[in-house]
Amino acid sequence: MSRQLDNDNPTIFAPAHTSSTSRRTGSGAKALWANEALDGEDDVYLQYGAGDGGDASGSGSGSEEEREDIDAEEVYDLLRSITDPEHPVSLEALRVVNPNDIHVAGNRVLVYLTPTIPHCSMSTLIGLSLRVRLLRALPARYRVDIRIKSGTHQSEHAVNKQLNDKERVQAALENKHLLSVVEGCLATAGKRGEA
Amino acid sequence: MDVPRIVRTQISTSELGPPKELLEGVNGGQVGLLEVIKALGEYLTSPEDDVRLKGLTFLSNLLKVITPSKVNRQATATLTNFYLSKLDDFDSLPPALQGLTILSKLPTFDDSAAVDVYKGIVENVNMKSYVQATRHLVYVLFDSLLATHRSALKEMGTAFVNSYTKMVDGEKDPRNLMLLFSIDRVILLEFDVKDHIEDFFDITFCYFPISFRPPPNDPYGITAEDLKLALRKCMAASPYFAKMALPLFLEKFSTSTGQSMKDLMLSIAACIPVYGAEAVRERGSELWEGIKTEVFYSSDTSIEAAALSAFESLIRTLYPTEKEPATGLAQDIIKECLAILNEPEKSQAMAATKILAAMLRASVSAGIFAFSQVFPQLFKQFNTPPLPSHRAPLLSTISSLLIAAQSVYTPESVRRQSQERSLEPFRGGILDVLREGLRTEGLKGPAIKGSEACVQIAGFWGREEVEDVVRGMNDILINDNDPETRAEAVSALTTISTFHPTVIEAITLPLMFHSLPDTAPPASDFTGRDKYRSILGSLTELCAQPALFQTLVIRVTTKLDLLASSSPAQDADDNMGEKLDGRECTVVYAWDLLNSLVKVIEQKTKAKHIDLSRYFDQLIPRIWTLVISAAGPRTGGDQPLFRDRRLLALVGRIGEQMIYELSSERQSKWLEAVYNAFEKGVWAEVVHAKAQVRLSGSSLRNGASSSEQDLIALYSTAIQGLKNDVRLPFDQLAAFLSSKVHWTIRVARDQWQVKYALDLICAFVNKREAELRDSLEDVLTNIWNVEVQDTSKDLEVRKRALLVYLHIVKALALLRAPLAYTALDRVIEILNLSNLDPDYVGYAASGFGILASGKGKSHLTAKLLHAQKLWNHVLAKLIAGDKEASGKDRLVYLVAFASLLPLVPASLCLSDLSTILPLILRSLSLSDPKQRTNAITTLTSILETASDSKEVDKAIHAKAVDMVQSLLKSALIEADVPSSPKVRIAALAALSLFPDVIRFEALHTQKSTVIKQLGRALDDPLRSVRKEAVECRAKWYRYGNAT
Repeated sequence: MSRQLDNDNPTIFAPAHTSSTSRRTGSGAKALWANEALDGEDDVYLQYGAGDGGDASGSGSGSEEEREDIDAEEVYDLLRSITDPEHPVSLEALRVVNPNDIHVAGNRVLVYLTPTIPHCSMSTLIGLSLRVRLLRALPARYRVDIRIKSGTHQSEHAVNKQLNDKERVQAALENKHLLSVVEGCLATAGKRGEA
Repeated sequence: MDVPRIVRTQISTSELGPPKELLEGVNGGQVGLLEVIKALGEYLTSPEDDVRLKGLTFLSNLLKVITPSKVNRQATATLTNFYLSKLDDFDSLPPALQGLTILSKLPTFDDSAAVDVYKGIVENVNMKSYVQATRHLVYVLFDSLLATHRSALKEMGTAFVNSYTKMVDGEKDPRNLMLLFSIDRVILLEFDVKDHIEDFFDITFCYFPISFRPPPNDPYGITAEDLKLALRKCMAASPYFAKMALPLFLEKFSTSTGQSMKDLMLSIAACIPVYGAEAVRERGSELWEGIKTEVFYSSDTSIEAAALSAFESLIRTLYPTEKEPATGLAQDIIKECLAILNEPEKSQAMAATKILAAMLRASVSAGIFAFSQVFPQLFKQFNTPPLPSHRAPLLSTISSLLIAAQSVYTPESVRRQSQERSLEPFRGGILDVLREGLRTEGLKGPAIKGSEACVQIAGFWGREEVEDVVRGMNDILINDNDPETRAEAVSALTTISTFHPTVIEAITLPLMFHSLPDTAPPASDFTGRDKYRSILGSLTELCAQPALFQTLVIRVTTKLDLLASSSPAQDADDNMGEKLDGRECTVVYAWDLLNSLVKVIEQKTKAKHIDLSRYFDQLIPRIWTLVISAAGPRTGGDQPLFRDRRLLALVGRIGEQMIYELSSERQSKWLEAVYNAFEKGVWAEVVHAKAQVRLSGSSLRNGASSSEQDLIALYSTAIQGLKNDVRLPFDQLAAFLSSKVHWTIRVARDQWQVKYALDLICAFVNKREAELRDSLEDVLTNIWNVEVQDTSKDLEVRKRALLVYLHIVKALALLRAPLAYTALDRVIEILNLSNLDPDYVGYAASGFGILASGKGKSHLTAKLLHAQKLWNHVLAKLIAGDKEASGKDRLVYLVAFASLLPLVPASLCLSDLSTILPLILRSLSLSDPKQRTNAITTLTSILETASDSKEVDKAIHAKAVDMVQSLLKSALIEADVPSSPKVRIAALAALSLFPDVIRFEALHTQKSTVIKQLGRALDDPLRSVRKEAVECRAKWYRYGNAT
């Protein structure tokens, strides 16, 4: 151990069990069916050729693309498996991010993060990791706000200011060392809650 | 033989390998070895370094290859002495060492010679002045001497050990070290090293910890891990090291990090048992402090695992037997862990749990003592927690300890719970907390895991206790809302069912079947549907067990009967919404029930359960009755439930699987019944209740109703499930085939029926090729000339005819029958007519997709390399056609190519990448998303397997930019280009491979474009596509960043 940790014995929580598969897809009669009934093999060779004719009965292109909007659960999925900078544990397990503290409305995303202890010096770094992840994973039309959950950190305002100041974020990302630490935290982000 | 002349020629031309004739001469006995040496004499003693070296090398090379028995005792002695005299000659040393190594392996080389050679080297060779290769030769010689004359060297005693440690001191080359470490280990184990242990300590521990990083492209392939393992074996070779090694280890605790810390932990784990309890005990608590830090605070799980293995080793060494009282260190550690567990929700509590579990694994006495201390405290905390949130982590701790106990008391292990009785005093307490956990929100997960562990500990729980927890889990299955908790319970019950099948059968199954509704929940009742689906899902997992399958078959068929008899009559007209609801819901429910059967049967087939055929008579006639009776004529336009094609398809699938499991004999019997039913209209033999069948004849007859014709699904799947050697109920195979061909082209009402008919034809031809061989050519020619080529016929007829034609070709191509290829040439030929009949030719081109489906999951017979043969035949013709055509006419060849792609394994593409890659890239611009998906899938498998060959590597790097740009187009939704979620997901997945496979230099110009374009994919309407896009983009962000 090279450095004293801010919080050397944080509380670990069991995963929150919000699996993204629980969402119901489709509408109308489609909603009645089990997912596996819908994604069955479409009969490949009977529809070929007929494709341009337009009388293809099965899953042609066009109408099936019903829009599934990005919701808080999807944003949570993007963030939950980011690794804490101090421990080999996900932000989900430390309850630094919670599904209920993420809000999506129109083109705005608001994420509250909860530091494990009020004097956590890693809060900005965690916030930065969240921001970089969302910067990369959300369409550009979204405006993202990342805030410390009120009352959980002693210098809440300073951290909030830092996290939501475009120039400061940009400057931080030009720092090679800092960026590599952030990349390290993000390396596990793709797991999305799976072990 | 003129030996002097030969020798002279070889030396003067610097050809230092012995010529063949000389070698044969010596081996054959015509030429004496001494004769050769005599001839070499002038060179061997030449004052010129160069000449002398040549002479010596020639001699050593000769020795290397001649038959060992040709070197007699006298020659051995002479040569040994001769070589010994060369040891002080700087240039001659390498050949001399080589010669000596060869001699040392001869039976004629005795102990005293070994000692002489060893002494000679030690006295004359100054290691520091030689290069690595020469030093290596010295060590090889030592190794050989030790292997063949160990006892002689041992008798040298101090003289040997002292000189050896001096000789090898300061070696740095990894290749030499690998050899030295193995020699060191032999000496440490076999020789009396007690008095010289300090010297050995110096020449081994000076390398610890190893921080070696092999150079890039290291031709010797020695890794840091190899060196670490070899050194670790040395360090653990002698107990005498303990005194010096333990302080060294303790000192390294403070300076090591990362990989070296892991090495340190593993080395401790390896050394402590050798060093012995007495030596270790003195430094025990200091070792614990060091190990503890890594378990409690480590940020790397592999280091933590290494630290735990060091800890186990420590405890095992200190408390090796049951008799060893767990006093001293173990007691302190347990006390420490218990204190930490007072805050069970913290991360250190998890570490403490791991320590306690390791203690049980490591030692009987320490383990029992640990359990006796920790369980009472945990129970107390659990029952009266200072904070309610403590209970979940507390139960997790308890479960982790139970899982550790399970891993210790396995049937394979020598340790028995019935002997050690470590859990016995807490039997009641454990059951209490688990029961409590199973019914409390938030505690279910750990309670399930703990119960599952307890059931598996041999000789711990009796039937009553098992029943107790099974009841708790049943409740979770039926009532819990969280799918993951339910899944955990199912998996636990599945485990339990292998140990106590009767408990599951008696308690779980009745309850679950009882919870399945008798009628389908209405459309608005989403929870009801989710609930029965979850129950069915659980049953599917559980009932694959042979002991439980029968219950499933009986219960599910009963439910289906019930649905069939009570299905709501469909009103002909009004109230559309309602009608859709009631009927569709029932179809959905019946589909889910049938699907659960399909899944269990597939699971059982995969696991090669042999009991399936036993249930054939119980299952197939019953579900066939449902669909066959539904197909009969009804009054008043009534549409029975089981006319639904989706259900019919599943019944067919079940039939095929089950028939395939039957013996040929039973298959013949069943086939005869099926044949009589479909061809002659005698249905009694294939159904369970004849009274319900109201069919008046063959369902394939002209004028049969659509619902009767739909039964082709049963006929087709029955034939698909047959074995090749089944006795057929008819002799006229060709006539049978033509009647089916006729039905397909002329009678079948729509594509659904055509599909089943085509599968029937394909399966029949594939299984009976030998008997049909003589008539097939005529059949094919006939179809081609009469139906396909006659443009005056209806387009639909011509299309169906082509489908039949291609299905027969497919059946033959799988068998590599020559007819397949000549028949296929006709199809390839018409591709050049695309300007005359664009619709039909386009249809034919994409028809190659039929051939691409290969064997798949079907029960067709496929010979080895059928894909290769077909591909090679077709590809050349397609390429030729593509070259001759121009403009838009080339497109059909590309379509045919892309349609056929799924057939070929990546390895085949790799062998001819320069031809195929450009075609694939062009295929990426086709408009049909399906064909593009094929091209992308092939591209993906090429990229995934590309690593080994240089040429492939070069080809894919040269095309990397093109590939990325084409893939990007398929990954996005563009206006006017048809797209599908499938093609977008495939394209994104392929794009995310590039950062792993292609070197950054080749694509650095693309990085910013790709990231920008992928930004648009992030806004895809579909969640599954967005997910792929996010991970793909994340990978491209990391691409090229130094790690």
